Amino acid sequence: MRDDARIAFHGTLQQLVAKVERGEMVPKLQASHAPPCKFWTAFQVINGIRHMVPVIHGPKGCTYSVASAYKMRGCEYRGVPLEPTTCTAQNETDVVYGGEGKLLEAVKEADQRYRPDLIVILSCCCSGITGDDVETVAQTAAREVNARVLAIRSEGFGGDFRSGYEDAFKVLMGLMEPRREVMKGTINIIGAREGPTYTEWVQDLNELERLVQAIGARVNGVLCGGCTVEQIRKAPSAEMNASWCYDWGQKLGDLMEQRFGLPYARTGQPYGPAATEEWIMGVATPLGLAEQAREVIRHELAAVSGELDTLRRSFDGRTALIEISEFPGPIRALSLASMAEEFGAHPVVINLHPYTVRERLPSIKFLLERGQNPEVILTRGIFALGSFNASASTQEDVAVIAAEYERAIYIGSPLRQPGVPQVNMTTITGYPQYGYQGIRNMAGLIESSMQHAGRPRSRLFRKVLYGD
Amino acid sequence: MINTASQKCHDPYLRCALYGAAQTALGVNGCCVLSHSPQGCFQLVDAAFGWQNADYTETLTLCTKLCEDEIVHGGEDVLARTILEAQELHAPIMFVITACGPEIVGDDIVAVCEDMRSQVSFQIVPMLCAGFRGDQNRGIDIALDAMLKQLVASGDGGRRPPRSVCLVAPHANANPTWMGDLNWVKTVLAQMGATVLVTLTHDTALADFRKVPLVEGCLVLSHDAGQAAADELAGCYGIEQWCRGLPLPVGFTNTRAWLSELGQRLGAEDVAQGMIARGEAMVVETCRRKGLEQSAMHRAPAAIVADATVGIPLLRFIAEDLEMIPELVCLRSGQAPARAMLESEVADLGLHPKVVFDADVYQSKMALAEVKPEMVLGSNVERHAVEALGIPFVFQLVNPISRWRMIDREYFGYRGMLNLIEDIQNDWLNRYRSKHRRYKARW
Repeated sequence: MRDDARIAFHGTLQQLVAKVERGEMVPKLQASHAPPCKFWTAFQVINGIRHMVPVIHGPKGCTYSVASAYKMRGCEYRGVPLEPTTCTAQNETDVVYGGEGKLLEAVKEADQRYRPDLIVILSCCCSGITGDDVETVAQTAAREVNARVLAIRSEGFGGDFRSGYEDAFKVLMGLMEPRREVMKGTINIIGAREGPTYTEWVQDLNELERLVQAIGARVNGVLCGGCTVEQIRKAPSAEMNASWCYDWGQKLGDLMEQRFGLPYARTGQPYGPAATEEWIMGVATPLGLAEQAREVIRHELAAVSGELDTLRRSFDGRTALIEISEFPGPIRALSLASMAEEFGAHPVVINLHPYTVRERLPSIKFLLERGQNPEVILTRGIFALGSFNASASTQEDVAVIAAEYERAIYIGSPLRQPGVPQVNMTTITGYPQYGYQGIRNMAGLIESSMQHAGRPRSRLFRKVLYGD
Repeated sequence: MINTASQKCHDPYLRCALYGAAQTALGVNGCCVLSHSPQGCFQLVDAAFGWQNADYTETLTLCTKLCEDEIVHGGEDVLARTILEAQELHAPIMFVITACGPEIVGDDIVAVCEDMRSQVSFQIVPMLCAGFRGDQNRGIDIALDAMLKQLVASGDGGRRPPRSVCLVAPHANANPTWMGDLNWVKTVLAQMGATVLVTLTHDTALADFRKVPLVEGCLVLSHDAGQAAADELAGCYGIEQWCRGLPLPVGFTNTRAWLSELGQRLGAEDVAQGMIARGEAMVVETCRRKGLEQSAMHRAPAAIVADATVGIPLLRFIAEDLEMIPELVCLRSGQAPARAMLESEVADLGLHPKVVFDADVYQSKMALAEVKPEMVLGSNVERHAVEALGIPFVFQLVNPISRWRMIDREYFGYRGMLNLIEDIQNDWLNRYRSKHRRYKARW
């Protein structure tokens, strides 16, 4: 494909990674692709721990924003009671004179008021620049309060969104006790964040937990998907770690393996039968449950045989254009590509943003090592300045790409309608996408996409989304 | 009255100054807002975008995405480069709002903007609104000050059009669809023969700023922000502030007082009295025909947890018109004029509620636990916070609420009274609705 006016990159994933490693193609000055900063993502991780009080050493804006995004969402959809999101409300005086004393008092006040199991101090840009020593304050406070106290250096400028996740998980390892008597048949699921799964909808994590129980194992805790401090404390004594998303679990898995000798199942995301079998066996084999697992797999595959036929029939001989790098995410896009290939399609991943590739290099390299090297196309639209410009021109770009492939099927975002059968991968009733329930859901989505392929984009949606 | 100043640990209801400034800037049509900040602060700009009902096909938001390099070596270069890049957007004006990081390390944002002015075809307005400068209300005041100083020419521009008005800070209002309140004010003014020449800010054309010195009077539509701008308008251009010291028009008495003063100011007393008579009759008739749940409200011990803009006028409305007994008022802000106004209202109504200014979530919850009202007029935060307190009713009137509102609904004026009553009655009935079925149907 050669259309320089529209195409910014066309090659393999390996070639894109090489470009990103050379520092090419990563725009900095626009906001069309601005994920949260390190502070937000560090907060997101610790927000998934029960009876935890954050003391954010910063102004009110950072605090209310994460409370509004994550705490309220937890209350609304995840069945979590309202827990506090506190801060030191730094002002100009604190910026000039430093705020360590105020921080210490705030931690003591938080301990008295809320009686938490854990207090986590998070630094923000202000306290990071003025050099307040949050770690020392945490140590001092820990001697004076009942709760455990940790500190995360999470100033927003200090790293990208990925570093927030990773640093938070790293700091939380300070709660873990040495590996003692191993809890047989027990695993941790790692790499989760924000809180437990929705109460009203089944999600990917629920499907994984179902499969773990089906093979006769049990889950100590989902770190940090609504876990307790106690579950984190004894996590090293589980028999092994498995991740719900290889990308987010990888760092914690590696670190726990190094420090505690806790084995970590390095498997991809369980999209489709092969990856699901790999995920299950990756857990079952080290636990000595391979026989039970094979039986579960046989049984589950038989139960979805009709859906597997649908998927084979729908994908075979087609080009699967996959564009879910913004949401549900880039690693999922690659997992989906692998699944499409398993069912006989030629996958093309669209708009795997170089920015996100840079942030996820370890995971993407892991996938490359496993032989996943799909074709990737980046359109110029995703580099456009301004989010509307980016969205409107990307729609045009994707429509042109879809027209160039015979029998293309688009698996991606409802923001686009490229004129070929298309699957909305963001609908909540399409979850879980993992495991056998995921196969059922995917088959339903694909079947519907074929039936309704000829339906036009509505005038309302077209005008709202593209302004034309 | 509770003093909240001594607490060290805050669970805030409000965002920071950067957010308030972004809200204010995004009220200018077709503008570009550049957040000179790390990308996390950009989420605040996104939130502000929604609060101003900005249209993404017209209004553009950018971010310099500052990282460690810019904090160590300064971010002026990256700011200059971003301003240059933004030329391709063809926006007539760019507001540069600054976050904590660049202000602390000493980026000279004003100088960069000054340097870039000759190289670009749009106006540039820097606003120093780092989060540590205060809460979102402070940010609104900072932004209004910057706009008045940088976009409004000196006041020798000739004759003032009679009955011309400037509306200030309509967006500093926790009604989730505050544009409804703004529209009501504009309608009322139009009916009294007045012309709104400029709104600071919502749907404000860049050209409107030139008209500021010409207006006769200004109305501050908030008890949380905007007073400093009104003082500046008075000081610099001799523009009188109307309805100063009056609670905003929520409920019969407040609306009557507000409309009456406007009528006097505009020489439209008859029109005002006509509006009052018709409005009050409409409310009464509607409640008579559609149903008013007196049983829910009469003598019900109630708490208000809100911003000052909604909270202060709501006090008289629920006490006088809805016959509730206000036992607690928690305001999220506490500027001096608002404190004085609430104290005066409490005294005038002969009430003795517990009052908390600058309340955070903890203060509100503790006060609610102590007072144990039957109903809370508040937000979704209180809905969750009171779960374990045994308080039966929480009416979601102020931001954040857990409902989608596509249509702007005012709280001001007579339809506003009905909107509030409707919300209260719906939440009241929802609480009664069965959450469980006692048996399964057979079909």
